[in-house]
Parts: sequence; C-alpha cells; structure tokens
Amino acid sequence: MAQSSAPRPTPVSTSAGGLSAKGLRSGSVGLLGATVIGISCIAPAYTLTASLGPTVAAVGTQMPGIFMVGFIPMLLVALGYRELNNAMPDAGTSFTWATRAFGPWLGWMGGWGLIVATVVVLSNLAGVAVDFFYLMLAQVFDNPGLADLAGNVWINIFTCLAFMVGACYVSYRGMEATKMVQYVLVGFQLLVLVWFSVAALLHFSNGTAFDALGFDASWFNPFLTPSFSAFAAGVSLSIFIYWGWDVTLTMNEETKDPERTPGRAATLTVAIIFVLYILVAVSALMFSGVGAGELGLGNEDIQGNVFAALAGPVMGPFAILMSLAVLSSSAASLQSTFVGPARTMLSMGHYRAFPKRFAAISPRFQSPGFATVIAGVVAWGFYAVMRVLSTDVLTDTILTLGIMICFYYGVTAFACVWFFRREVFSSTRAFLLKLLAPLAGGIILAVIFATTLIDSTSPDYGSGSEIGGVGLVFILAMVLFITGIVLMLIMRRVDPAFFQGKTLTKGTSRDAS
Amino acid sequence: MSRVANYVVAYEATAQGRESLELGIALARATGAELRICLVLQRLSAAPAKIHAARSDYEGLLADQATQWLNEAAGWVPNDVTASTHQLWADSTSEGLIQAAADLDSDRIVVGAARGGILNRFTIGSVANALLHASPVPVALAPSGYRAPAQLTRITCAIGTRPGWEALLDSLVAFTRDLDLELRFVTLVEVDAAREKQSPAAAGSTAHLDAVLAYYQRHAQSRGTITTEVGAGKNVEDAVEALDWRPDELAFVGSSRLAAPRTIFLGITAHRMLHALPVPLVVVPTSARP
Repeated sequence: MAQSSAPRPTPVSTSAGGLSAKGLRSGSVGLLGATVIGISCIAPAYTLTASLGPTVAAVGTQMPGIFMVGFIPMLLVALGYRELNNAMPDAGTSFTWATRAFGPWLGWMGGWGLIVATVVVLSNLAGVAVDFFYLMLAQVFDNPGLADLAGNVWINIFTCLAFMVGACYVSYRGMEATKMVQYVLVGFQLLVLVWFSVAALLHFSNGTAFDALGFDASWFNPFLTPSFSAFAAGVSLSIFIYWGWDVTLTMNEETKDPERTPGRAATLTVAIIFVLYILVAVSALMFSGVGAGELGLGNEDIQGNVFAALAGPVMGPFAILMSLAVLSSSAASLQSTFVGPARTMLSMGHYRAFPKRFAAISPRFQSPGFATVIAGVVAWGFYAVMRVLSTDVLTDTILTLGIMICFYYGVTAFACVWFFRREVFSSTRAFLLKLLAPLAGGIILAVIFATTLIDSTSPDYGSGSEIGGVGLVFILAMVLFITGIVLMLIMRRVDPAFFQGKTLTKGTSRDAS
Repeated sequence: MSRVANYVVAYEATAQGRESLELGIALARATGAELRICLVLQRLSAAPAKIHAARSDYEGLLADQATQWLNEAAGWVPNDVTASTHQLWADSTSEGLIQAAADLDSDRIVVGAARGGILNRFTIGSVANALLHASPVPVALAPSGYRAPAQLTRITCAIGTRPGWEALLDSLVAFTRDLDLELRFVTLVEVDAAREKQSPAAAGSTAHLDAVLAYYQRHAQSRGTITTEVGAGKNVEDAVEALDWRPDELAFVGSSRLAAPRTIFLGITAHRMLHALPVPLVVVPTSARP
C-alpha cells in the first residue's frame, strides 16, 4: 500500500490490507447455497408456467422426452462457458468473450443477442407476474371478476409498468435479496410444484381429472415427435427452461471448495430440476391431456400461463399458494434479471460499443444507473407493443426468447472453440471441453436456430398472430436482429474506436496478454 | 508525538462525499493529521439470474470508475494537507469504513452525514447512522453544504451530567493538544418556557460545568481561552439554537451510556442535537483510544 509523505501529489493506492481486493466474497458459498442459487436462477415455478403450454403445442405428449434431450445442448455450451470463464475471469459477458474471439462485429451482435434475450424475458416475467397478481387478488377477495382485469389490455400494460418501475428501482438502488429470502423462495417453489403434481395425480386416480390421459412410457422418447420442426421448437423451448443453470458451473471464487463445489452443485441442481420438470410435465399431461378444451394443455388461451388456469381446478382452495409461488418467483427473477442487460450495456458503453452514457455508474448506489433505466423502458415498451399486436403475448415472447437464447449461446459456444483453437489438441481434456463439447453444442444450437427461424415464418407458428401472412414470431426476431445491425452501423459511424479494435482486442488463448 | 495521526475520510462521488472530504481537510489542517480517502465498493452478493457471470466484467469497470472518482477527490485536497486514497470492497459501506479504520490504524472516521437535509442542518444518512451505532473510533459528521474554513477557531464541547463524560474530555484533550483555539463547554438544559432562565436545573448545570472545566484544565495542553455556557430552551433543539455558532467551529459530543465499551452509540439527546446543529460534530466512543 503506497502512502505519501510529501504533501503533493496524493497517490492512489489499492486496497486496505486484509480486505478482499475483489468484489466477490470468496469461499462463502457451500454446496447447498450454490444449489439454491442455481435453482433460484432457473426460477422453476415461473419457467414451467410459461413453457408447459408452448412445449405441448410443439411436441404434444413427447414433452417429458424433449425436456430430457433439451438439456444436452445446454450442458455442452455450459462446459465451454466454464472454460472461457476460467481463461478470462475478468471478462464475464458474451459480448467481451465473442469480441475477443471473433472481433468487434460478431462480438457486438453477441452482446446484442444477450441484451435482447434478457429484455424479452423481462417483459415475459412481468407479464406472468401481472396475470398472477390479479389471480391472487381474485383468490384473496374470493371475487373471480378481479382475475379478468388482467385481460384488459390497458390495465395489463400499466400494471406491468408498475412492476417494471418497482424492479428497476430496486436494481438501481443496488438492493439485493438476502440469502435467507432466496432459500425461502426456492423452498416454497419446490414445495408448491410437488404439491401441484401430487394433487394432479390424485385427481387422475380418483377419476376427477379434466381430460385423463393414461401414462405411457413412450412420452420419454423424444424421437416420437411428429416432425423435425416440432423437435427443434421443443429443444429451443427446453433451452429456455434450463436457462440460468450454467451460472452454478462458473461460481468458482465464491465457493468453499472451488475444485469440487461448482460441479457438484451444478449436478445436484440439474438433478432436482430434472425430477421436478418431469414430475410436473407428466402430471400436467395426465390431468389435462393435450386437447384444446377449457383446461387442455393444447388450449391456446391458457398456453402462455398454464398454472394460472390449472392451479384452481387441481389444487382447490390451496391454489393461492401457486399464485404466491409464481408471483414471488417471477418478481424475484424480474429484479435479479435486470442486473444482466444493465451490466452488459454498461460494459458495451465502457468499450465504446454503445454510447458513453451507458457506462455511467451511479456514484451513490454503485449501480449502472442509465443502463438499468433503459433496460426497464425498453422491456416495458416491448411488452406494450406485443400486448397490442399479439393474441397470446406470453407464448409469442417465449418462442422469440428461445430463438434469441439459441443465438447468443451459439455465438458464445463458437467463440469458445475459436478462442482456444491453438490449444485444443494439447490434451484430451482440452480437446473434449474446449473443442468437442462447445462445437457440438454450437452446431446443435445453430441447427435449432435456423430451423425455428424458418418455421416461424408460417402464420400458424406460436399463437397464430401474423402480419401480412408472416408469423409474428419471425417478424419479431427479424426486427430485433435488424435493429441490432442498424444500431451497430450507426455506432460504427458515430464512434469507430471499438470497431477498429482499439478498445477491446481480438486474440486467442495463446496470445501473451 | 512520533506517530502522525490519520483520519479515514468516507468518500463517494456525491455532494455528501465532498462534504466529508472538506471536513477531513478542516480537521487535518487543525491537527496536522493525514487523510486516508476511502471509497468503499459494495461487494456483489446476489446471483445474477439467468445471465452468465456478467458480474466479473462489472467489477473491473466499477473498480476503474472508483479509481477515477478517487483521483478527482485527490485533486480537491489543498497543498497543506497530506492524503492518500484507498479503494476497498465490503459487504456494506459502514462495515468497510470500520475495517479501514482498523487496518489503517486511524484516529477517526469523517463522513458526510446529510441526506437531503434542509437549511444546512443534519438529516442522518444510513451510512453515518450505522457508524454512529458501531464505530470504535470517533466519528466526525459534516453538515450539508460544508466547506473547509481556512482555520477552525473554536471547539464547542457538549457535556452531559451523567457518568462517562471523562472519556469525551480525554478525547478532546488529545485532539486539542498544542492547538491555539477557543474552547467552549456547554450543557443543554430543557426548561419550561414560562420559567426564569436561572432555574435550579440551569444552576446545577453551571456547577457541573465548573467540575468539567477543572478536569479539563488539569489535563489539557492547549492554548486559547476557555468559556462555559448553558444552552436553555424548551427542548434540546431550542437549547442548541439558543447558543451562537460560528461557521468555522466544531462540536464534540460523547456516546450514550448504552454503548458497548469502545464503541459509539449516539444517545437520544445527542441525536436531537444533531437536528438543530449547523456545524460539524465529532462523536466520541465511550472509551476512546489511549
């Protein structure tokens, strides 16, 4: 620690001794804590209510099988992520990784994909929260009319605004949920989801199920899906349902035993999530069937938010617990997800890939102030436009989201392969983790990406919303990509430094840094 | 004295941070102490949902920004004051400051107390409030809009009649060693507005002040005049306002008896004093450092 004796100049020294120089609190998270963080990132109650319907619409009864194979690309890409994270621990986003590997153009688009994916999920999270908010009010006051308020476009859009402002404010203030809150929320979600499944199975055995569908082992065979398009759509949705799991793999410094804890926690997390997803998927199928009836999983009106429709008939008076579980899960997720796009935008602002204002850090709260507000405004604007345009906004946003996640995960997987290209043949481990796994993951994602994009041009895709005979999901994805490219070109003209490689340089793992 | 005293200045790039730095400068000018300008970065603890480790990138950028902020702060330090800057991570700002004071062997923590207070009076911010209930070293609070005067001309020490005032005086003795400034001891008395000023309570206070004065004069090594005064009013705030205050003075007050040994705990009276006080205040722990 440098200390001055002369009156001038006043030198800058680093940290005071005894304190961690880094923000991460090292060695504080054990196996249970890391697992809770993993499950909390996935937010299973929210994820299931948003994805069960669209998945059944795509693959029907093969849903359990698709949930199982859908994990494979996620696993492959996450292994690559871990390698990148170990090699460049100071650069944590797809934006910086992809720029280092492929240079500014693809790097910019990688960052854009991540921002768009998170902004879309923010709007979906808020949408689900709005539905459950009114459903819960209806349950509390025993007045079903209140639940219908969510169906009013303007009430819906402005309630969503209120949620966004709340989450945005909490993120701006830099407030974080304590560990205890996280434990309680995760425990509660798991409990309610198991309760729901058991109740659904009891209805089935009592003969009181809505559209009883006998269990069949063939549900677990993903290759019985009707077409490759359906299979691709299913896998794309599965990537959404495991989104967040990879965070556990990269929790190195924070864990008590960095060698083993992250791996074990990731395994334990995925085991719990696997069992839970399969249980809920099977019991929902057995209770509701795949028909288009009132409570059928094939009913487009309930597909975007399945638990909102099923919790009452399945759980009876205890349905309010489901409302609480989904509402708390999506509200907590809404708040913590704000951090992601805000920090990526800040990082892009810092490297002059975005206007300088995005790099502003609030001196009082030490949060990316400007970027957080922009993320909130854009997410709400996106939701408002979708709510007006689409007949089933939640289903369409989830499908768009699947495409966006495929894109930025894919870019990152290939970035891993390319960044490590000089050392992949140095050992078997390097070959498997730095080449084979990310390459296979990247190829799978690329195929899924291309297939779903082509299929989504059909006006029947998703909720069936269309503009000029072209599916809304495709138009949405194109608008988002083209907006990205246009903004990138504008940025290139306004401030070329980043695009000339002056702020963040391209390189490989073997470059001396 | 071989050891050069040093003060931790709680800095952030806001008006409060600037006020804290200004008070640090005023104190350092008076006593020749060095400043340790500390910027505490909050350790990030929540898991970033869904999104991959965007935090590590952010951490680096935050640290860069903090370095810039600290350089800016260093630029405000005048030539006659020695300062160094420090950046550290902690779970909370107050925790980081207390840790820094321990690690840097500091004699006091200077903090900008105000948050949106009006008329240059105190409204205690959360960091200052946390320090006022836990700090092991004296805490100096800067009021809103504070700027360092060329020189401090007077110190006012508010003395209560309850046991424990010796610790406050010992701290004052240490602070005023070899200084040439006026010293004023005051007690605050709440009196019924209808009654005369020379009430029995005020008379008792005067007697107490004499005892305090005698104790101080036995130990002190400062130069300059010493006066005593009783501030009377129908409540603590009025009593504070009944006294005159100079822009270039400093107030001292002790901790509540509720404080654990060697820590600060701001009592109710002192708390209410703050609301009416227009000058910086130093709060001294129950048993100050030797």
